[in-house]
Amino acid sequence: MILEVITPDQILFKGNVTHVVLPGLDGSFGVLSNHAPMISALTEGEMKVDQIVAENKGDEFFGKYNDEHKNDASFTFTIKGGIIEVKDDKIMVLAE
Amino acid sequence: MANLKEIRNRIVSIESTMQITSAMKMVSAAKLKRAQDAVTQIRPYANKLQEILANLSSSLDISENDFASDKEEKNIVLLCVTSNRGLCGGFNNNVIKATMKLAREEYAGKNVSVLSVGKKANDAFKKTEFNIKGSYLPSHLEELWNDLTFDNVAPVAEKIMQAYKDGHIDKIVIVYNSFKNVATQIVKTEQFLPILPPEEVEGETATANLDYLFEPSKEEIVEELIPKTLKIQMYSSLLDSMAGEHGARMTAMHKATDNAAEMNKDLKLEYNKARQAAITNEILEIVGGAEALNN
Repeated sequence: MILEVITPDQILFKGNVTHVVLPGLDGSFGVLSNHAPMISALTEGEMKVDQIVAENKGDEFFGKYNDEHKNDASFTFTIKGGIIEVKDDKIMVLAE
Repeated sequence: MANLKEIRNRIVSIESTMQITSAMKMVSAAKLKRAQDAVTQIRPYANKLQEILANLSSSLDISENDFASDKEEKNIVLLCVTSNRGLCGGFNNNVIKATMKLAREEYAGKNVSVLSVGKKANDAFKKTEFNIKGSYLPSHLEELWNDLTFDNVAPVAEKIMQAYKDGHIDKIVIVYNSFKNVATQIVKTEQFLPILPPEEVEGETATANLDYLFEPSKEEIVEELIPKTLKIQMYSSLLDSMAGEHGARMTAMHKATDNAAEMNKDLKLEYNKARQAAITNEILEIVGGAEALNN
């Protein structure tokens, strides 16, 4: 599935992932492929991304963390809060 | 006849002015590019947020929210967005005039104050009756322009929202220049608070009907979402205004350079005429002198 993390200022990450852990308002939760459509609010905390490195080399995948974690199968970063929408096997995180 | 030296001095002075204006134009062009990039960058974020909010509010009444309450409009704050620096044509004046008009006509008889972003608005409204009193509103907003990022704008928006929540203000309107193209900026008036119900997006009904899971509840998500959209709204107005400022300055400096070139041309013509006249005069004198000797 595709994960896209954007902030008002920049694109943080865009790429194929297998598993994402997000800091929900009621505690952190994970999202796997083929999740049902969902809208959820996030709080301050850590996001953990398991990406499929081999599939994220194309030009359409770009963002701050795409460069920083080019070859890491898994990486984490913190966000201050946000909204997440899961739809059609695509996760959109509007982070802050 | 004009003095040769005088004209030469003027030509030199106009040339150095021209250098400054064309350099300023170039700087503005570069900054405009960056400002426009920022505007396009925020668009997908804002659209998605708007979409989710529209999606939620179609099945949920948001008029119960803290920011939607329909109070009597007594204390009105106009957020006047101008630049810190001048030399950008009518850019700042247009906004200040529009704000003044709103304060004097549309909201006449109410308690209006103007919160100014940028030195120019600050200078214009400091001496009027609309000057801000009290400390519940953010100050020193001109510093925003030094480094316009979402992280800097968010606390300002939060403070305004808090003041609204606490009942110090009943209505907030943003007046700013929106970037249409390099030569044109349109003065826009947008209601910031209380929030207006989101517009139904045409053709988006398919997504609205999707069965979403909501985690935690819809109400809590909306509670989180509305302050976010407000911050984004404010940030995008500021970005728009910044792009407009650089566009306006670019146009103004372009015109100034053109005018200087025109003036330079006229002065050069005048200078050459004067020079020619002086030479003719000299020849005449020599010929006259030679003739006098011959005789």
